[in-house]
Amino acid sequence: MKHIYDCEYNQAQSSLNSIAGNLNITSDKAAKLISKLAEMGLVYAKTDKVTLTQEGRSYALRVIRIHRLWERYLADQTSLRETEWHAQAEEREHHLTEEQANVLAAQIGNPVVDPHGDPIPSSDGIIKEKRGVSILKLDIGQLARIVHIEDEPNSVYSQIVASGIHLGMQIRILENSKDKIKFIAEGEEILLSPLIASNLTVMPESKSEDFKKDTPTLSSLKAGEEAEVIGISKACRGQQRRRIMDLGIVNGTKIRYEMESAGKDPIAYSVRGSMVALRKAQADQIFISKKGIVNG
Amino acid sequence: MSSRDYILKQADDLRWEIGENFHDHIIESLYKDAGQIASKVVKHEGEDKKYKFDQILDRLVTSRWTGFPIMFLLLAVVFWITVEGSNVPSGLLASLLVDTIHPLLKSFGTEIGLPIWLNGLLIDGAYLALAWVVAVMLPPMAIFFPLFTLLEDFGYLPRVAFNMDNLYKKVGAHGKQALTMSMGFGCNAAGIIATRIIDSPRERLIAIITNNFSLCNGRWPTQILIATIFIGGAVPAHLAGIVSAAAVVGIAVLGVVFSLIVSWGLSNTVLKGEASAFSLELPPYRPPRLLQTLYTSLIDRTIFVLWRAIIFAIPAGLVIWLVSNISIGELTIAELFINWSNPFAILFGLNGIILLAYIIAIPANEIVIPTILMLTVTTASLAGVGSGAGVMFELESVNETAQILYGGGWTALTGVSLMLFSLLHNPCSTTLFTIYKETKSVKWTVVSALLPIAMGFTLTFFVAQIWRMLS
Repeated sequence: MKHIYDCEYNQAQSSLNSIAGNLNITSDKAAKLISKLAEMGLVYAKTDKVTLTQEGRSYALRVIRIHRLWERYLADQTSLRETEWHAQAEEREHHLTEEQANVLAAQIGNPVVDPHGDPIPSSDGIIKEKRGVSILKLDIGQLARIVHIEDEPNSVYSQIVASGIHLGMQIRILENSKDKIKFIAEGEEILLSPLIASNLTVMPESKSEDFKKDTPTLSSLKAGEEAEVIGISKACRGQQRRRIMDLGIVNGTKIRYEMESAGKDPIAYSVRGSMVALRKAQADQIFISKKGIVNG
Repeated sequence: MSSRDYILKQADDLRWEIGENFHDHIIESLYKDAGQIASKVVKHEGEDKKYKFDQILDRLVTSRWTGFPIMFLLLAVVFWITVEGSNVPSGLLASLLVDTIHPLLKSFGTEIGLPIWLNGLLIDGAYLALAWVVAVMLPPMAIFFPLFTLLEDFGYLPRVAFNMDNLYKKVGAHGKQALTMSMGFGCNAAGIIATRIIDSPRERLIAIITNNFSLCNGRWPTQILIATIFIGGAVPAHLAGIVSAAAVVGIAVLGVVFSLIVSWGLSNTVLKGEASAFSLELPPYRPPRLLQTLYTSLIDRTIFVLWRAIIFAIPAGLVIWLVSNISIGELTIAELFINWSNPFAILFGLNGIILLAYIIAIPANEIVIPTILMLTVTTASLAGVGSGAGVMFELESVNETAQILYGGGWTALTGVSLMLFSLLHNPCSTTLFTIYKETKSVKWTVVSALLPIAMGFTLTFFVAQIWRMLS
């Protein structure tokens, strides 16, 4: 059902074969499944075209809503790894009633997008239009922000996660050819094959908040040095991001390395007159600039 | 479409358009404005000197060479003050509640014509259990928690979390778990309430489940007594004190090791995930407010302990008296259970009496030793000691206690197994109730109860088998 809906959302045509492929089942099984769904009045099945009925569409939207809400919840409230969100949500989507879904949504602040950048259908089944273009369509030197990362198939998605790409990152294209695409994101050069990169959707932008190549992070600060915070990586999200900002670590904040703990990690920094301990993994996600600050 | 729906829809559309970043921008501008206002109106005076002092102290307590020794030293001092300082008031309370008031109540019951069985049930059972818990628990609690609060007020405890975090991070937990574990040395229920300082739910749950591996106040006396008799007794007299103390500390350290292992196990199985949402503020050092701290923790703890004694110890006292005084056929319920469970208990180096004592002592670990003594005396029919069936007692001297236990067929293995089992068994009912209140989950409460029990039986089983193979 979700697959057929996805196809419609992306203006593609779903067929017996595409369904079988997506669910990893034989075409015989897929045919049985479709006739079952047709009996239930959820799809129209003609020769090779499968389309959703009105009822089928609203059912699919409900499942998608719950799935994306769960992913959002897992991303913000738990410490599961990115690559596990989808599988967990697949399991959960069938165990939640609509009411529970609304409670969950309210709990996490009625989000509009899931952690991959997909819109979350509203409780009355309204879903936003897709935004952005494929990253492959950008010209060299162009600035853009990543607005969607396709999380299926998992093998491709894990590669994207492994290369350190996150939703909301600003990128600048360095190279774009038939066999590779190279861009800068948060000061790192990233090289992908077009097959992998085709899972990324971006919105072109004009204003640069571009981090130069090899922008230093807070973890590079030495004892007693001071620097200014110039950004927090998009890899830092949800609760953790809020906590760091609540502590006053935002653009323009002066931050000084105070001391390391007896276990060498975390390290205490002074921020706006108070002392805060951060683990190295977090300090890696905070970009700093030592310009204009005299470290005596 | 009502105007409300229209506005909501507008808001939704706008959120979709602005994208993810506007939260960041809002917080940034808030800080910017606040910073500008503050720089205009706040005056700084005389902070430099204080800052220098804080720095020197911080360098000392967080350095790689001195940080951990200072921590262990302070913890040892806190324990020592607790153990030494509570002896006197415990003795006073015991002589008041047990030696003075108990006989008075007994004769009062006889005077108003209570039937013998009811008099026994209420006074020997319920009242005595309550008196024990109060006498044994109240003084250490009243000393340990104020000391801990003083360290916290002073600002030292966050530094402990800061130092320990790396170790806890490796097992997927939070540095603040070091603090909740230390609180657990006083009382696991208090330790579990203290986990509220951990703000990420997963790490908090790990801290809650593993808190029971901190040897709580109710279990220290058991450990100390048994170590003195069976471990101190096995070495030359001039070493006895040191060796038995080392054994008790060893058990406590073993508990910490287990808590780390279990944390690691949990964060790699059922509570999968990486250490998340870490935040730890290190406040400036402040002179502790002595009187206020003493007052609040004394009052708080006293009420807490008394309430606990009333709610949980009284039923236990009733049960103890009943199982020792109700007979089915020839034997009392207690004897029946002990005889039935003995073969099973022997496998783990324990005996039926210990198992029964632990079942009865679910409400409070403090009554384990008195219950064991009472049951040993009544079932082994040792003449001339104790105060009768179903009446808990403790003896003045360790030697007398040792005689009773040896008389009951105890060996060094029984002692060691009991020490291990005392560390690894289900939390008391107060703690379980607290776990349920904090997690709101039956599942995790059950896990917290069964996991240590399973570990305890596994460990004592292997120790007993290996011990018997070697001897």
